[in-house]
Amino acid sequence: MSADARVRRVAGTAAATRVPWDLVGLVVLAIAVAFMPDLLKAFFGRASVSYLSIATNALSLSILALSWDILARTGQLSLAHAAFYGAGAYTTALLVKHASLPLWVGIPLGGVAAVIFALLLGAVTLRLRGIYFAIATLSAAEVLKAVVHHLPTPIAGGNAGLNVPALFRPEFIAGQMERWEVAFLRNEAYFYVYGVVLLATVLASILVQRSRFKHAFTAIRTNEEVAGVMGIRPARAKLLAFVLSAVFVGMLGAVEAHRVGSVLPEQSFSVATTVLALVTPIFGGLYTTLGPIVGALGLSSVQETLRRTFSDGYLIGYGVVLVLSILFMPRGVVGLMNGLMRRRAKPAAGAPERTGEEDRP
Amino acid sequence: MSVVIRATALAKHFGGLAAVDDVSFEVEAGEIFAIIGPNGAGKTTILNLVSGLLTPTAGRVELLGRDVTAASPAQRCHAGLGRAFQVVQPFPEMTLRENVLVGALFGTPGLSRADAEHRADEALEVTGLTALSAVDAEDLTLMQEKRLEIARALATKPSVLLLDEVMAGLRPAEARDAIGLVKAVRDQGVTIVFIEHVMPVVRDLADRVLVMDHGKVLTEGRYAEVTQDARVIEAYLGKEDAA
Repeated sequence: MSADARVRRVAGTAAATRVPWDLVGLVVLAIAVAFMPDLLKAFFGRASVSYLSIATNALSLSILALSWDILARTGQLSLAHAAFYGAGAYTTALLVKHASLPLWVGIPLGGVAAVIFALLLGAVTLRLRGIYFAIATLSAAEVLKAVVHHLPTPIAGGNAGLNVPALFRPEFIAGQMERWEVAFLRNEAYFYVYGVVLLATVLASILVQRSRFKHAFTAIRTNEEVAGVMGIRPARAKLLAFVLSAVFVGMLGAVEAHRVGSVLPEQSFSVATTVLALVTPIFGGLYTTLGPIVGALGLSSVQETLRRTFSDGYLIGYGVVLVLSILFMPRGVVGLMNGLMRRRAKPAAGAPERTGEEDRP
Repeated sequence: MSVVIRATALAKHFGGLAAVDDVSFEVEAGEIFAIIGPNGAGKTTILNLVSGLLTPTAGRVELLGRDVTAASPAQRCHAGLGRAFQVVQPFPEMTLRENVLVGALFGTPGLSRADAEHRADEALEVTGLTALSAVDAEDLTLMQEKRLEIARALATKPSVLLLDEVMAGLRPAEARDAIGLVKAVRDQGVTIVFIEHVMPVVRDLADRVLVMDHGKVLTEGRYAEVTQDARVIEAYLGKEDAA
């Protein structure tokens, strides 16, 4: 009985002194998003217009990568994220063309469209595991692409796509601002929209990590059979992860359609979206909230630096960086940092005493 | 006495091979029920059919009077079935306590987080793992892993616990500890079904023994009875002696 009391006391003190780093990070991110445009403007003046656009791309990649990671926590590697992105993009484009609703409505409805598609796709594919799931989901984007491509042109625009009006049209007021400030205001407004979507994604990820779903996802990833015997319903948990993984990417696709000004079959259902969605969290560190965001910020910086240094063939350098980092940081940037911190924290602690555990039956 | 598990004419065919064929047995509340037999007799297949990891080719499984033949592993877990695996399979990325917490969190739908944590700590204490709570599950010794396997199953609050060769690979002293642990679990009111190769363990633990060979039931009864059965000696014990 005394041992029981002791355990509870130890657990209590640990909980009391633990810093909620995830929530601290969320607040820091919110503050960074709120002040980023003004900071860039103050430091870079006219150049801040393009910097803001680069920062927006980094937010976009963060949303995509973190969303992908939420599903990856259940062990399912999705190649369907271009489909969710494109479903969101085409939803808002079609609404603009065929319904007279406020432009903003397309963004949440883009998320809804992605969720519906995830439910349909998940019901069919989530019982598959590993490479079989990946291949089944890869076809999803191709199917949607073929659908919009072959729908009659007056409906979905066919190969030429559809125009999507901008969400923001700041007006130039002579005497009160310079010409470039119009572009800055437009980019600033988009940056905030992306920032809000990213904060929502981060919040969803944190809520998963703080709930029992974190344990369910990890258990399913490491051993689905044992997870079932422990009372976890793998099919339900994976479908929930799939839905969470799709909703923000659908919204992202919708926002991006307005920012770019058009949707095209090739561009909205691009394999590049699918590849970035999985490469970025692998680079940053899987199965965490922080890893995919670190990966997105890191890869965006690397790509932009390379692009400015070598205008031609910079993608080759980008590929080399990716290959090297995956070879030498198999657990991503965050895994590397954790390893370094752990080594510093207990330099005397050796390897686990037990060796040769691979030989066990 | 009430019947906890009733298997009726269970069969499982893998292709042309009948791993389990026309097996029927009943496990009563509060007993320790052993399933023995040579390698390949179908013992683990029976546990997989009972816990829902395999669907039977024919036959029925009832758990506490409910037909669960078509139920998922999770549903059977919620109905009161716990399972510890032969090849210990902790979730390696979690600490020992988190592993046990998984069982507590999901074993009973609707259980609050605080109750689940309490239940996990109870299971850790019963299995003597409290001091190791914060250790990563991949850093455990074999005996600790076996205890974890039982703790995790106990945390689901089972009415009946299936143990698949939990003594395998243990040294005699460790096996004695494990026997004590199984008895302690039974004394808490949990019915136990276990597969075992080590005959002294079966003798010390089992109230009743089901002997299997080539997927069929050879005989069933008390340890002293079945070990006198000529067919059992031939199929199982005889081979052991010769080896």
